[in-house]
Amino acid sequence: MNNHIVKTYGDELDQLSAEVVLMGGLAEAQVADAVDAVARRDVALAQSVVARDHKLDELEKDIERKCIRLIALRQPMAEDLRKTVAAMKLATALERTGDLAKNIAKRAIVISEAEPMTPLTRSIERMGKLVSSRLRDVLDAYKGGKVELAQSVWASDTEVDEHYNALFRELLTYMMGDPRTISACTHLLFMAKNLERIGDYATNMAEHIHFELTGEDYVESRPKANTLSNLE
Amino acid sequence: MDNRRSVWHIIPAGSVIGVGVLIAMSFYAPLHPFLIFVALLIVAYTMFKYLVLLGDAEEKIRALKAPEKQVKVQPEGPSFQEVLRAVPDPVMIVSGHEPDDIAARRVIFANAAAQRIFHIADRGGPLVSAIRVPEVLECVDEALFGGISGSVDFEMSGGARDQFWRAFSAPLPMENKHDMAQRLALLVLRDETDSRRMERMRADFLANASHELRTPLASITGFIETLRGPARDDEKARDKFLSIMGAQADRMGRLIADLLSLSRIEMSEHVPPSGETDLPLAVRDVVDSLTVIAQQKNVKLRIEGPKPGLYPIIGDRDQILQVVQNLVDNALKYAPQNSEVSIEICLDVTLPQAVALSDGKAAKLVLLRPDRNVHDYYARITVRDNGPGIKREFLPRLAERFYRVEGQKSGDRLGTGLGLAIVKHIINRHRGGLVVESQGPVSASDDDILERDGKVTALPQIAPQTFTAFSAYFPQSRAFGTAETPRLVVDAAASLKDAG
Ligand SMILES: Nc1ncnc2c1ncn2[C@@H]1O[C@H](COP(=O)(O)OP(=O)(O)O)[C@@H](O)[C@H]1O
Ligand SMILES: [Mg+2]
Repeated sequence: MNNHIVKTYGDELDQLSAEVVLMGGLAEAQVADAVDAVARRDVALAQSVVARDHKLDELEKDIERKCIRLIALRQPMAEDLRKTVAAMKLATALERTGDLAKNIAKRAIVISEAEPMTPLTRSIERMGKLVSSRLRDVLDAYKGGKVELAQSVWASDTEVDEHYNALFRELLTYMMGDPRTISACTHLLFMAKNLERIGDYATNMAEHIHFELTGEDYVESRPKANTLSNLE
Repeated sequence: MDNRRSVWHIIPAGSVIGVGVLIAMSFYAPLHPFLIFVALLIVAYTMFKYLVLLGDAEEKIRALKAPEKQVKVQPEGPSFQEVLRAVPDPVMIVSGHEPDDIAARRVIFANAAAQRIFHIADRGGPLVSAIRVPEVLECVDEALFGGISGSVDFEMSGGARDQFWRAFSAPLPMENKHDMAQRLALLVLRDETDSRRMERMRADFLANASHELRTPLASITGFIETLRGPARDDEKARDKFLSIMGAQADRMGRLIADLLSLSRIEMSEHVPPSGETDLPLAVRDVVDSLTVIAQQKNVKLRIEGPKPGLYPIIGDRDQILQVVQNLVDNALKYAPQNSEVSIEICLDVTLPQAVALSDGKAAKLVLLRPDRNVHDYYARITVRDNGPGIKREFLPRLAERFYRVEGQKSGDRLGTGLGLAIVKHIINRHRGGLVVESQGPVSASDDDILERDGKVTALPQIAPQTFTAFSAYFPQSRAFGTAETPRLVVDAAASLKDAG
């Protein structure tokens, strides 16, 4: 790094949030591309998703290092401290999101060899669109400091679960109908599970953003539908 | 060091002469050489200070002038900035310092279109706040640090409507020569949604039409062959076959009509409607046109909502009519004999209210959600029938084109499977939303054990009333204040009696 420009405290905070937004853009693209790769059976795209994942890891480490340095050297208070902590938490969530996207891409490569299962991959695509829109909203809320937007993402948490449950049943029916599809369907099931997790990360990020902006935690517990995942 | 040299021109002649005199004196007067040396030192020091001050001031002035200077080319006529501002495509000038400092990539100029579309403030801001699409950022970096111009296509999902953009970036000549780290690039974006949409739609239409028309066409050809051959003289068979062929031809006609209207709606989907429509009035019109069918099945159509004519919403009348028509059509199709289909209209509904569940046990799914934080109030219409309901797992695919729930007895197979797809696209164009809620049949399968939150509960003794309810909501331009909304409950059957 250059040392001749002495950054002010405010600059450092701005840089942190800019990096988080950049990371968010990358994570968004990873999720969208992974889902696209599934829908279009595009192995090359899936491979490039896998290859790009390390960028998110590096960015997360970088953000974490900067946050720790900032906390140590500047000892931020109140709002600034919340900002710093939120940046760190968001970076972690986005890195995980990237891991899940990578996993989807890997599975996309495997199932591209099986027979196409258009109705099922279309359902994955639909779920992917929904999850992507949650990610987008959450990042828009972060970048614009919009509490209500974060709140509305947080409140619509159960939608992804509904899609997941429906897809789960669809997959079961499919597998029972034709046992040869079991292994491919299992991959699709895990893809759906990954998408659901990404949705959960979006919810978590919405919580962190809410805390960053208001300094308050959510008191009410998150609305949860009757999900199959609760059984685990 | 070019910029420093100019300072020499404005050094006051007085100080130069003073120094000259001082030096001359050291030759002629018997002054102490040390004294002269000290005097010289002082003069040199003050001059040095003076020069530094001047240099700083000049730099500051330069920095202040910088943004204007870079676009001002001729003293007369509009400045480049003004010209760029008027360009309809988003144009930005991005500055950067070094490759690994992302926050320093700033938009230092954004024209009106860029400010509007990418939410950039007047004084600019970080580039990532405007666009965070990785490909675009890479493209800008290449222009900034590699000096390469390039272009990249990217998709930006602006809510429920995908947008296709192309970004062009090019390096700009450096403005501040003394600040070698500062680099500039031009970023121009072009909305290619229209052309891409057109392409995609043409492809979709052809694929759908050829695929869906194949079956009825094959059946018609088959019957023609039979009529030409074995059934040539069989009068009874001929009548039967002809009526089947007629039905198939009708089906083809309906398919083409539906596909065409779907294409037309898709074409204008990203252009929001501009007119105003009265939702209660539209409902009345649709119900009036469907009473005959309803009476045949002895189904009562009940409207509950505000008086028509008072509360216009943003919308295209024909399209809103089609939404209501398709939803009520479906409800009538699945409603059992002697039952009731209710159509409820609510105004001033907020987004959370619009998607709220009315029946705790039923399955609910948002099929389409408007962009958050755009409109505050919505007008909602809910069409509810007491038909067999739709199982939870079938809900997500409902608005897919050609999708029909399997194993469902819909009586007549008159549908094309496009009704709800059309509804969804129309509502999307109106920036509204669509929610389905349904209680399907409860059977004693292991499915239901999975459903109840991990607790293996006994099945209820009495099966719950099955139903299906579709809610469509459209944005209102303002709140109407429903506190004093006159409500009206209309029985379609009764109103028909009134009419005679
Ligand atoms: N009110 C309803 N009750 C039960 N099922 C419905 C209802 N509305 C729609 N469906 C299901 O959704 C499918 C798609 O509906 P739609 O797009 O209108 O196509 P179509 O009516 O032409 O079959 C229908 O085939 C039916 O299976
Ligand atoms: Mg229909």
